[in-house]
Amino acid sequence: MALSTMLSTMGEGALRTCGIFFLTLLFSLPLGMVVMLLRKSRFKIVQWIMKIYIAVMRGTPLMLQLLVWYFGPYYLFGANIRGYRFTAIIIGFAMNYAAYFAEIYRGGFEAIPVGQYEAAEVLGYNRTQTFFMIILPQVVKTILPSVTNEIITLVKDTSLAFTLAYNEIFSLAKQIAASQTSFTPFVIAGVFYFVANYAVAFVMERIEKAFDYYK
Amino acid sequence: MKKKLSILLAGIMMLTLTACGGGSEASGDKYVFLDEDLGVESYAIGFRIGDDDLMEQVNGAVKALVKNGTYEKIGENYPDIKDYLCLKAEDIKDDEIAEEGSGDSGYTFKHGFDLDYPPYSYLQDDGSVGGFDVEMAQAVCDYLGWGYEAVPFNWDAKDAELNAGSCDCIWSGFTKEGREDDYTWGITYSNNTQGILVAADSGIKTLADLKGKVVGVQTATSAADMLEDSQKELADTFADLKVYETYTIAFNDLKAGAIDAIAIDMTAGAFLIAGEE
Repeated sequence: MALSTMLSTMGEGALRTCGIFFLTLLFSLPLGMVVMLLRKSRFKIVQWIMKIYIAVMRGTPLMLQLLVWYFGPYYLFGANIRGYRFTAIIIGFAMNYAAYFAEIYRGGFEAIPVGQYEAAEVLGYNRTQTFFMIILPQVVKTILPSVTNEIITLVKDTSLAFTLAYNEIFSLAKQIAASQTSFTPFVIAGVFYFVANYAVAFVMERIEKAFDYYK
Repeated sequence: MKKKLSILLAGIMMLTLTACGGGSEASGDKYVFLDEDLGVESYAIGFRIGDDDLMEQVNGAVKALVKNGTYEKIGENYPDIKDYLCLKAEDIKDDEIAEEGSGDSGYTFKHGFDLDYPPYSYLQDDGSVGGFDVEMAQAVCDYLGWGYEAVPFNWDAKDAELNAGSCDCIWSGFTKEGREDDYTWGITYSNNTQGILVAADSGIKTLADLKGKVVGVQTATSAADMLEDSQKELADTFADLKVYETYTIAFNDLKAGAIDAIAIDMTAGAFLIAGEE
C-alpha cells in the first residue's frame, strides 16, 4: 500500500475520531452541569440517583459501557439496533464524560467561600444574578486545568469506539498495520493524537489567559 | 433506601450482561453458511524468517505426533475441526520424524497465539488456556523435552510480538495464503474454508444476494484479507464492510440484526453457531 493511500484512508478515520470528539464535548459539557446541579439538589432521592450514576459511570470500564449502550436495547427489549451504532457511541461517551465533568464542576463550586454568596446578597444581587455574575466566572477559572486534562483524555479514549466496529483512526491503524505487516500506521496515528492534543492544550491555554483578568 | 437502589441498578446492569449469554431460544439451524464459499486456505505454523532450525524441529515433532496418533486424539476433542485436520499417519515417512527429547533440555518454547480464536486457541470453560493448537504445541514440547510457555497476544500485534521475540512462533489457526513470504512456514496441519454466515431466515442464499448488505469481519483475519484482495469485487457490492475487534461482537451484531452476514472461516463459525444451541 502506498503511503498516500495509507494517509488518505487514515485521514477518513481521523475525521471520524474528530466527530466522536466534538459531539461528545458538545453533549457532555452541558450534561455534566445538569448532573452537578441535580447532585446538589435539595431532594435526597435525586442526590442519591446522581451519586449512583456517577459511581457507575466512573466505576466501570468505558468499553463495557459502550457494549451495554449498544447491545442493551436489543437484549433487554429486542429492539432493532440497525443504524444505531454511532448514536450508541456518542451516548456512551457523553454519559461517561458528563460524570467526570460533573465532579470537576462540583469541586469548582465548593471552592467558592460562603462569604461570596453573603456579600452578593448584601449588595442586592438575586440568586440568578449571583450565580451567573459572581460565582460562575470564578468557577470556570478554577476548573479549566482539570477540564483540559479530561478533554485530552477524551481525544485518546475515542479509540475505544473500535469495540463497536467503528473505524476511527486507531482501529484503521491496527488494520493497516496487520495487513501490511508495517509499523508506519501506528506512527501516523501517534502523530495525529499528539498534534490533536497539542491543539487542545493550545486552545485551552488561550481560554485560561482570557479568564486571567485579576493579574 | 440507598442500598436498595444501588442493588437494583447493579441488578439491571447484570441482567444486561447475562442476557448476552442466554438471550436466544435457538434451534440448531438459526444460522447457516452459504453453499458458496470464499476460498480454501491452509493453517500452518509461522516462524520468524530465518528460524529454520526451530521450524524443522517443530515439524519433526508434529509429524511424530501424527504418526503415534496423538494428533488425531487431540482432534477428537474438537469435533468442529476434525474433518479439516489434513495430516495422515500413513503419509509420514519414518525418517521425517524428530527424535524424542530426553527429559529437561532447558529450552522453553514460547507459543504465541490469539486467545480469542476458538476452537484453535481459546479460554476453556474452566478458565484455562486451551484449544487444538495449544494442546498440539504442548504435546510438541512434551515430545521434545522442552518447557512450554503460553504467550496469548493481541492479534493485531502478532508481528510486533514475533519480531520482538516475546514469542517463538505464531500458531493460532494462522493462514498461510497471502503471507507466504512474510514468515518461515512450518507444516500445514489443517485446512479451512472461508464462508459467509447468515441468519437462516435472512433470505440470503448466494454470494450475489449480499449485494447492498452489511457484512462483518474480524480485523486482521484471513477473511478480512480475502475481502480486500481476492474477493474485493464481491466486497465492493456490499453496502458496508464492518471490521470488528472480535468475531464475538460481530456475531452479537448479527443476532441483533444490525448486520446481515459475517465472513468467517467455517470452523470458527461452527463454534459460534454451536454456542447458540
